[in-house]
Amino acid sequence: MAKKKYAIVLDASKCLNCKACTVACKLENHVPVGHETYRIWVTENEIHGNFPNLTQTFQPSQCQHCENTPCASVCPTKATYKTEEGVVLVDYDKCVLCKACMTACPYDARFVNEHVAAVEKCTMCYHRLPDREPACVETCPTKVRVFGDLNDPESEVSKLLAKNPYYRLKPSVNTRPRLFYIY
Amino acid sequence: MKMGKLELTRRKFLTVSGATASAIALSGAFSAVKAVESNNQESMQHGKNSKFIPSACGMCVNKCGLIAHVENGKIRKLNPNPKFFKSRAMLCARGNAGAEEPYNPDRLKKPLLRQGKRGEGKWKEISWEEAFKLAAEKLAELKQKYQNRSSVAFISTEGFQEEFFKMLSTSYGSTNTVRHPTLCMASVIQGWSSVFGTYPDADLTEADFVLMLGANRAESFMTPDTIDFQKSMPKKQTLVYVDPRFTSTAAKADKWYAIKPGTDLAFVLAIINVIISENLYDENFVNKYTHGFEDLVKHVKQYTPEWAEKECEIPADEIIWVAREFAKYAPRSVVYPGRRTSWYVNDVYFRRACAILAAITGSWDTPGGIVPKSSIPLAKHDSALYPLYDMVEPRIDVSRKSSFKHLIPNDERAKHGLPYDKCAYLNEIDGSWVVFRDSVLKSDPYPVKGMFVYKQNPVEAVPNREKTLEMMQQMEFICTIDIQMSDTAWYSDLVLPESTYLERWDPCHSLSGIWPIVVARQPVIEPIFNTKSMKEITAGIVNEMLKIPSLWDDCWESDVEAFKETVVEPILNQPTEKFIEHQLSPYPGAHEMMLKEGVFYLDDKAKYGQTKKEGFRYKTKTGKIEIYNVRYADDGLDPLPVYASPSQPKPNEFRVILGRHAWNTHSGTQNNEYLHELEPENAVWINEKRALELGIMDGDYVYIKSSVGEQKIKAKVTKKIRPDCIFYTHGFGRLSKGLSLVYKVGASQAAILEDYVDSVSGNAAMHETFVEIRKA
Amino acid sequence: MTTDTKSASNLAGKTLTTSFIVIGLILLAIGGYASLQVLLKGHEAVYAVNREVPWGLLIATYAYFVITSTGLAFIGGLGHAFGFEKYSKMSKRIVVMAFVILLAGFTQIGMEIGHPIRLMIYLILSPNLNAPIVWMGVFYGIELVILAVELYIIFKPNKKESDHNTAKIVGFFALLVGVLATSNLGYVFGSLNARPFYHGVYFSIFLVVSGVTAGAALLLAIHNILYKFNVPENLHSSMKALGKLMGAGIGVMIFLYLWKILSSLYTQPGDSYLAVKALLTGPLSINFWVGELLLAVILPLAIIVFSKASNMKALGIAGIIFMIGLFFTRYDFIVAGQLPPMREGLPGSGVHTVNGLAQYAPSTTEWMIFALGWGVFIFLYFLAERFLILDTEEH
Repeated sequence: MAKKKYAIVLDASKCLNCKACTVACKLENHVPVGHETYRIWVTENEIHGNFPNLTQTFQPSQCQHCENTPCASVCPTKATYKTEEGVVLVDYDKCVLCKACMTACPYDARFVNEHVAAVEKCTMCYHRLPDREPACVETCPTKVRVFGDLNDPESEVSKLLAKNPYYRLKPSVNTRPRLFYIY
Repeated sequence: MKMGKLELTRRKFLTVSGATASAIALSGAFSAVKAVESNNQESMQHGKNSKFIPSACGMCVNKCGLIAHVENGKIRKLNPNPKFFKSRAMLCARGNAGAEEPYNPDRLKKPLLRQGKRGEGKWKEISWEEAFKLAAEKLAELKQKYQNRSSVAFISTEGFQEEFFKMLSTSYGSTNTVRHPTLCMASVIQGWSSVFGTYPDADLTEADFVLMLGANRAESFMTPDTIDFQKSMPKKQTLVYVDPRFTSTAAKADKWYAIKPGTDLAFVLAIINVIISENLYDENFVNKYTHGFEDLVKHVKQYTPEWAEKECEIPADEIIWVAREFAKYAPRSVVYPGRRTSWYVNDVYFRRACAILAAITGSWDTPGGIVPKSSIPLAKHDSALYPLYDMVEPRIDVSRKSSFKHLIPNDERAKHGLPYDKCAYLNEIDGSWVVFRDSVLKSDPYPVKGMFVYKQNPVEAVPNREKTLEMMQQMEFICTIDIQMSDTAWYSDLVLPESTYLERWDPCHSLSGIWPIVVARQPVIEPIFNTKSMKEITAGIVNEMLKIPSLWDDCWESDVEAFKETVVEPILNQPTEKFIEHQLSPYPGAHEMMLKEGVFYLDDKAKYGQTKKEGFRYKTKTGKIEIYNVRYADDGLDPLPVYASPSQPKPNEFRVILGRHAWNTHSGTQNNEYLHELEPENAVWINEKRALELGIMDGDYVYIKSSVGEQKIKAKVTKKIRPDCIFYTHGFGRLSKGLSLVYKVGASQAAILEDYVDSVSGNAAMHETFVEIRKA
Repeated sequence: MTTDTKSASNLAGKTLTTSFIVIGLILLAIGGYASLQVLLKGHEAVYAVNREVPWGLLIATYAYFVITSTGLAFIGGLGHAFGFEKYSKMSKRIVVMAFVILLAGFTQIGMEIGHPIRLMIYLILSPNLNAPIVWMGVFYGIELVILAVELYIIFKPNKKESDHNTAKIVGFFALLVGVLATSNLGYVFGSLNARPFYHGVYFSIFLVVSGVTAGAALLLAIHNILYKFNVPENLHSSMKALGKLMGAGIGVMIFLYLWKILSSLYTQPGDSYLAVKALLTGPLSINFWVGELLLAVILPLAIIVFSKASNMKALGIAGIIFMIGLFFTRYDFIVAGQLPPMREGLPGSGVHTVNGLAQYAPSTTEWMIFALGWGVFIFLYFLAERFLILDTEEH
């Protein structure tokens, strides 16, 4: 059986900034209500231009599930690890809350969840895979995110990346994210 | 080692794996969430307590299909129902946050009887039996005292259970039912119906050119339009968006025109002018289906783009561009009808103009144009017989004697085309909120001293909060039915807790549109508190009413018997499941499909051209598409939309404009913690230049003052709004301490909005208020 | 064995040590109360560290204590292993001080880390050898053991000649492991992909140098306090040597500062630039100019230079001032690197920034835990002074 290689492809131009994904994520994953406790976010980018010639874009994002994983390399207890499919997860039982991963993450994707007494972050809804899509992907009105297997050339993510130019966030830190933004 | 890790992972992350046989048995819709059977022993164990139950969302008016993931009798998550194609299988922020509604700590948990003064917040918990008895007795008392059943008003807003609230008002016999449409879309319904005989939809999946005037679809969610406009845009569609405010829709649009508020009619008339003068209209369509085109040609000559430029501050060449593009792509051009159109006193004329634009370009009942709604008719209880009572007066907002000229700003627009003795076309069930309240306060022509309120929150919903409170103060009895202590409930005498939409059976609703579909609700969890559905509440009150003879002394005894036999026993005293079964009875298999899939539909393809068939008669006086409305002419209204300039704010003033966004519904959801954290407090948008002049910095607190009230609110200094207006979101600055997250947080809209009325449709005119702002 | 009375008579007297023991106890009580709060309410409720700045005061005070400890071990090692006579005269005090202040440091990290016991368990069960924190644990753990062995040797009755050799070897390892531990602490930060301010070899060197300087400063300060600023003649040469070491250390620090700041300024608009700007003109500027530069560099260096490192009182004052200033040095080092946000603080981003920088100010509880660290140090150290003889007889 060929190994899967999970990725999320985002078309941020579709994003309406409706926050369906952020609320869905909190409920699906029992993320506590609070301004520091969130796994995913939608940033309202700065407005360009002057009235009445304005432009504004939105950028939804979350843990980038980096192939080169700065958070895992600084974790003293291997609580942060990567699955075969490339999903970066935290084993709550091993997390010692030293927060090195939080300072190491170039995307500010991690936070302390008091309820599980560990650092946590997006899991690509690993508990839903492979039968159901991540909650943010499923609930999105305009389907900004597409989830799938990069090792399957017929998957939608593979096709999207083959067809469209794309970028990844902060290429300078060489993390090789599994989140791809198509133009 | 690998295996070990994987198992550990699964144990921790698979708090629930969906894939179980039992879940499939419980919910046929399960296959729809793309789950496949798994032989993982561990996930089987989890699945034992996991259910997936289809139902429908109740967080806004869209009623999207959902599939509730319930674990050990508790809702874990609400997911979109992929079979619910009207929403294109999505669930928005509110839909997701709905999972918290049943567990909200501020929920009403038991019937409450007021103890201290109104609004003091002293309550006594009483039993349902006592509550029903009290409500029935009060109804009897008011009827005896005023010898008029219409002295009790029944106030409600849309929802699956509203049907049963209406049964309560019909059982009692009051004509004074007041509903939400005149705070919302009465004018757009009237405007489009006056041309096409119906309020249609827009086919955004196939449109090539879309003109949206103030309909902020990216934020104000309407299914499927919110999704369709975005999906169609990257491919081919051009979106022109007109709004004084740079909304998320503006951010998506190809063109955004920051129009001067109140002048949209000038803009549309100028577009019509260009299309006619350049011969870009659809002559065949006009000749075949419409009435009065020649009158229009003469009428719009005066409305040149150059003239309109001065009115709406959109350059004439841009107006010409829009007109030519619109005509070029017609009939795949949409002038979007919109939803909440309670903007200006002459709003109906603006909506008429939009409909006329669609008519002359032939963008009607065709792919990519404006398309009349289809629906799936449900079986009704035709045999239901209510008594005919003697002690009933006609609606107060229709029969009032005095003029309501004070409800229309005294400017050019008041000079003609707007009646001020009575609203021209009131829906007899909806009434007109603004006129109704004004009439009650004057007891003109009779006193209204009782109020039953279901789900609506007039204190925050109706402009001029003080006036609403004044009206409530003169009531002798107010009973409110809601799930949380709304501001209206806070000032009530009897508060009855309803079960949330996730805890009850709700009858089917046929959602009409280009893609009609039927939804219903089944409870996904048992009621958590001692709450009941509106249906059970109506049944409880009516059963108590039947025990009071004085309530039935103004009708025939046989009427009462027929009422018992056709309404009380077969409907009210039966479970809602029976009601659903009856509604779907014309369609074999529909009931089973509804329970299993959460939806029922006949076809998922759009149908076009029904109104173009030979012999089709439009619901207008001439039976044609009325560019020139004959009935308006008869009734002394403008048969063609006449532009009149609205008043504009003084240099030190701002116009208040309203708008919705995707994080809250009206004033009903702000107290949900998942939504509250998206917007913990509202802030007023002020143009950066005006803010600078006033010395207001982003984040400063300011006072907003109108002729009816003052509110304190945080300033959001932005370039996203015109200098002559301000905007802030609805639902903050609340009066009820029962809404702990938003009680006195931010500013209320109702508190500063002045009450004006569009007297053609009865719609409130909420964009007519001017305010002054000063730093707090 | 010498009696307690005699040992006390050598020093300024029982009153002073007893007073410090009482002060230590008070600080311990404050810290104990705070620890209870942390246990009952949880870290999130009582600490001000946040999502953007996860490491705060307690990491700074941890670094403050443990790096000073390794600096002391370094100086002790010079005395023991390399026969620097002047330092070996103080070797007992050095070892006790290094041991006790290391324990103080451990209280800080113990209260900072959410699951300290779990850390110890999983460091054995599933250590990530790539993670610098593992090596931090290893090195500081070994350092504690080495210092314990040194303590044993020093206080062992009836010492033999072989004990002196053992002491030499152990002293050498204390120095070596101490330097490893502290430079590795620099690497704990240097390995943070996201934080360019910490990247490179700079902090590894800076921490070692400032640590040795701190060791010298603390010895100067404590000796002056113990002898009520009247240090006995026989220790003068040692004190002078420490003064010179401290002066030299500050001298090196000046160069390190200079090039770090200049090179960071040239990375504009990178995060390293932002961090340095936060120090120079931003929210940390008072800390930096007054705390780090005036107290930990300019004043002590000036005192040492103008007193030619030969006025005992002046050296003591320089030591005290330096130790105060060094706190800001450690605090700024921890906080500055985390102030540049990983994402812009725009609406919806969830990131909280003011003027483009993340925000952090320690909570009362964090300060109280800092008091716990001082309590451990002061209480245990002066207990040792009170009941043990820490004056070292000539080898």
